[in-house]
Amino acid sequence: MARKPILWLILALVVSFALLVYPIYVIRPFRYQGPRELALALVVLRYRPFLQILLAAGAIGCLIWWWPKSKGVLRKVGASLCALLVLGFGILSRINVYELMFHPIDRAEFASAAESKLDGAEQVIAVQIGQAARAYPIRSMSYHHMVNDMLGGLPIVATY
Amino acid sequence: MRDEQTGTYWQQITGLAVSGPLAGRRLQLVDADELSFALWKKEQPAGTVLKDIARFATDYAPKNWDVRMAKVPTVISYAQAGLGPRGLMLGVHAAGASRAFPYNAILKEKLIVDQVGTQPVLVVLGPDNRSVRVFERRSSGQFYRLTDPNALLMDAETGSQWNFQGCAVSGALKGTCLAHVEALKDYWFDWRNYNPATTVYGIRQKIR
Repeated sequence: MARKPILWLILALVVSFALLVYPIYVIRPFRYQGPRELALALVVLRYRPFLQILLAAGAIGCLIWWWPKSKGVLRKVGASLCALLVLGFGILSRINVYELMFHPIDRAEFASAAESKLDGAEQVIAVQIGQAARAYPIRSMSYHHMVNDMLGGLPIVATY
Repeated sequence: MRDEQTGTYWQQITGLAVSGPLAGRRLQLVDADELSFALWKKEQPAGTVLKDIARFATDYAPKNWDVRMAKVPTVISYAQAGLGPRGLMLGVHAAGASRAFPYNAILKEKLIVDQVGTQPVLVVLGPDNRSVRVFERRSSGQFYRLTDPNALLMDAETGSQWNFQGCAVSGALKGTCLAHVEALKDYWFDWRNYNPATTVYGIRQKIR
């Protein structure tokens, strides 16, 4: 362990924060996403859970190792705060802000064409597979964005 | 979009996997139309409709969402040749080519006899003056618009009459149907962004 474990703690804090924030910064609405930065943000998203666990374990391990050796309350509090923040950023990394904003449909339900109260002028996405025909109203699809469905025996995903 | 099995990220507009174990694979597009509910219901009385989720229904877009959306700024533009970023288009893919048909042109002409790449097509406005479908035609196929909502088109060659589903309801070709062509209602900026080589109906100059 290096002579200045507090530097390692701060490094873990900075990396953990960057891993949390970078994808949210790149992949957000009303911002042009260049293909390279998008590719990088997606890679971060894929490996982030594993990395955050490593960083949190490392930070806590560092804190435990350093605690008896450190002098002064201020240092102990500072180090604890660092480790706590690394853990916190790791936990926040598991929340997908965009899944909070856009509620997916977990159980889709359907009405027959006859019993549907939908206004005639409403726009729908119309799909037919074999003899099975289904309509997905655009005003609800533009909110939920995705419906995992099965139509005519074929698993499909309707998206908007 | 992300699939739960592999964690791969997929691009909605193209169906292409862009990051993850399945990167490079492509989802198969299912043929779909954007129609008015009333028109769809007439064609598919035995069909089913997705129900609103009650607890979110108050947050759904208002009925005039398309009017409001037309004013929302875009981060990329591709404005040119009189095309604004939020110009509404019908984007068509056929024979490896892309072509955009301005919605206003479709509403005005009601029937467009054209070609996408090497594929001759028909762009047809439905009897509701809102829904649009695109069909394949033979290169010699000359079609005309009729006023009967159940017999929307007539082809000059055989005199057969065709409905909005692209099926002949009378004449020599009665019972046969035209092949459906993949079409997407899209804003100009988005269509041009994903189809850099697109042409535009009604615009002669090369698109940047």
